[in-house]
Amino acid sequence: MKRIHAAAGATAMSLALLMSGCAVTSTDSGDNGSTGSDELGGSITIACGAMEDWCQAMTTAFTAETGVQANFVRLSSGETVARLDAARDNPEFDVWHGGPVDGFGAARDAGLLEAYDSPNAAAIPDKYKDADHYWTGVYVGALGFCSNTKVLDELGVDVPDSWEDLLDPKLKGQISTAHPSTSGTAFTTLWTQVTRLGGEEEGLEYMKKMHNNVLQYSKSGTAPGQIAGRGEVAVGLVFSHDCVKYQEEGLTDLTVSFPKEGTGYEIGGVALVKGSKNKTAAQAYIDWTLTAEAQNIGPTVGSYQVLTNPDAAVDDRMVKLEDVEFVDYDFVAAAAAKPGLTARFDAEIAAQPKE
Amino acid sequence: MTISNATVPRARRFSLRSRETPLDLTTRIAVVLVVLILGVLIVLPLVNILSSAVSEQGLAVFNSMFSSVNLQVLQNTVVLGVLVGAIGTVIGFLLAYVQVRLEFRGKKLLHLLALLPIVSPPFAVATAVITLFGRSGIITRDLLGITPTLYGLPGLTIVLSLSFFPAAYMNMLGLMRSLDPSLDEAAASIGANKWRTFVTVTLPMLVPGFASSFLLLFVEAIADLANPLVIGGDFTVLSSRAYIAITGEYNVGAGAAYSLVLLLPGLLVFLIQRYWATRKSVVSVTGKPAGRPAVITSIPARIVLLTLSGLLALLIVTIYATVIVGGFVKILGINNEFDLSHYRYVLSGIGSDAMITTTVLALIATPIAGVLGLVIAWLITRKLRRGRGLIDFLGMLGLAVPGTVLGIGYALTFNKPLGFGNVAILPALAGGGAVLGGAIAIVMVYVIRSSPSGQRSGVAALQQIDVAIDEASASLGASGVTTFRKVTLPLIRPALLSGLIYAFARSMTTLSPIIFITTPQTKIMTSQILSEVDAGRFGNAFAYCTILIVIVMSVIGLLNLFVRDSSVPKAAGLSSATIN
Repeated sequence: MKRIHAAAGATAMSLALLMSGCAVTSTDSGDNGSTGSDELGGSITIACGAMEDWCQAMTTAFTAETGVQANFVRLSSGETVARLDAARDNPEFDVWHGGPVDGFGAARDAGLLEAYDSPNAAAIPDKYKDADHYWTGVYVGALGFCSNTKVLDELGVDVPDSWEDLLDPKLKGQISTAHPSTSGTAFTTLWTQVTRLGGEEEGLEYMKKMHNNVLQYSKSGTAPGQIAGRGEVAVGLVFSHDCVKYQEEGLTDLTVSFPKEGTGYEIGGVALVKGSKNKTAAQAYIDWTLTAEAQNIGPTVGSYQVLTNPDAAVDDRMVKLEDVEFVDYDFVAAAAAKPGLTARFDAEIAAQPKE
Repeated sequence: MTISNATVPRARRFSLRSRETPLDLTTRIAVVLVVLILGVLIVLPLVNILSSAVSEQGLAVFNSMFSSVNLQVLQNTVVLGVLVGAIGTVIGFLLAYVQVRLEFRGKKLLHLLALLPIVSPPFAVATAVITLFGRSGIITRDLLGITPTLYGLPGLTIVLSLSFFPAAYMNMLGLMRSLDPSLDEAAASIGANKWRTFVTVTLPMLVPGFASSFLLLFVEAIADLANPLVIGGDFTVLSSRAYIAITGEYNVGAGAAYSLVLLLPGLLVFLIQRYWATRKSVVSVTGKPAGRPAVITSIPARIVLLTLSGLLALLIVTIYATVIVGGFVKILGINNEFDLSHYRYVLSGIGSDAMITTTVLALIATPIAGVLGLVIAWLITRKLRRGRGLIDFLGMLGLAVPGTVLGIGYALTFNKPLGFGNVAILPALAGGGAVLGGAIAIVMVYVIRSSPSGQRSGVAALQQIDVAIDEASASLGASGVTTFRKVTLPLIRPALLSGLIYAFARSMTTLSPIIFITTPQTKIMTSQILSEVDAGRFGNAFAYCTILIVIVMSVIGLLNLFVRDSSVPKAAGLSSATIN
């Protein structure tokens, strides 16, 4: 009896170990992916980092236009990187569309993306493109203050229009922002301080002061807008288009404002996944996302990011980039500093008691 | 009628020792099958992901585990698990005790209300609690004029205890209904008062139930992710820390390392529970009550018990009413205008696809999970001596591992065909390129996520029934299978039922592992709920949750009909063992 169970346990373990080491190597690759024909066809799968209805509208329009069946799975950027990495040898996605480009940078560094210089990318301003063509920007979002006017009125505080306003003692426990480790939005906030104040020390110093007024560091980057919308706090720090979206969905007490000292911004990207099984169609999709026509779909489903194609239509609800002061946001430097800076934030600020 | 007393544990140990006969063939086959299934469903994905924990980044986490920040996270996790385990078990016990030992109007209703939180779709309870009791909550601020801060430990404890206590409730209910009231009568007849009887007779009989409930709730609480994300605030626990590492820092190695640490408190509680519950085993020989439990008539006791359970019921009703009402107004608490557009949105297009897919996949997974859990319970309580701890633990792993890690493990393992060399044993099961659009991997996740509850309730029920019954059957010449089918199964039918109910409810509400294996062909309701919450369309999210609750409740109703105790003649007291 002893033997049976020892053997059973050993079998389970060794089986597991064996199988984990011995995935079947595909010997019949190249059946449909590398036929090399110019004909568009088949189907592609998109990892979509934007809102569900945005993804839906984009893929439907592309299928209608080209006849290529485009499917999507909606994922946050961290989830996308993890999934691409897990399926590295047998990619399930062809294109990654939407979501902040810091995630695209991480995927590029991990060797999960393939460079593609789309002919249509020529129209997109250089500051919205990866220098090595691993990703191209499709929209831009500006970081702003998403305030609940009702709560502000009760507190007797004006709508903030400066980073200094957020340090007002009357706003104690009335600010919601995400944690820079989990949220690209919150990291943008942190890096904006570093850029604006001229160094990591100064940036962290500001965050430390703001810490006293922060109710909680949420995990999701968009949550602060909702928390403010519900009146749990007075001000949420989010990208302004998310705030506009929540307004439209019925959180009507919200109002958007921007800091006069300058704010940060995000670029939403599109990229080709390495090893795509239907590369021709995937590239056609990327070409298409860079056209004004494709980008104009965004505002029709309530996504009011600024579009990167200069010919795309401008909606009243979008931020006028020329009206907002921006800091000189260096995406490469930001990505390089991220691990160290978020670790410091975690230890020196988030874990500290509030005064 | 033989009544067990303090000498029974010794007798039982003796009977175990006497059973040195080799295992019969069916038992061996069952062992091999269970080991194989667990090997594929949980060991393999875990080995794959944990091997990445031994990477450079993973080792960095282990090295920094004793830094103050990480120790704080570890401490938070344990504190939360103990609080939720204790509070949830007490709530479950209270409601079960009231259900079995008290007569009052609305008893059935209380039973249904106690089962309602089995269906707690991610975000629903947390969002409802914030809407009701938050800083600008309908009750706290508008009615009471206070603005408490729920984010963090208080909110998490409330939400998790309320979400998970039904597991304890069903566990205790099944146990108490099968307790032999003649023991209490015997205690009373030799002069013990009600309270003394309760403390010295009833409670010890329930120790396995308390222990298994606490373990289950502890493990569920520390592995939960959705609630710490919504209401956890600055209170970081290991599961949310692992999630941060993977999704925020793009660091799967570190995420796996945190998850490995997360298994430690789970393992510890598991070992303690095993040690404690097996030492203090009090077994009723018959396994079936010989009469109806005595009804408590003492007025003060009734008032206290009924008030407490009434308050709990009221809280549950309020929270779920909030969820339901939330689907019919624009944005609950902000714009309470009546609005049907959420249901129009949810019931058409993607919404109805997701509903059908999710229900079908969960229905496939439920019987598999229920049977698997029960067979494991049967093997470890009845058949195995060596290796039973290992199998018990492997069976519980599916619950103890954070969903994020499980999901990535599945993506890593089942995205490509599996086999030895170039001989494929399994085709690719997960991901868009897999057979059936990756649906098989989702069913597998449902099974491994939900079989542990069946396993725990099975273990608790089986520990209560003396092995002598099985042995009597065996000595009359019945094989292991016949004994299981004819003797054991009828006795543990309530446990099987609660295992099935839990399996279905849990499958329907699983979120975090699903994120990593959904494909365009398999839209899952919980991930749709997540994206509606993300987009700020709370009405749609609440409407989804309501529909999910309706689906689960209907299926529970059907299960109750199917698994009804029909083979055993209905005599007084016997039928009461079935959850109805």
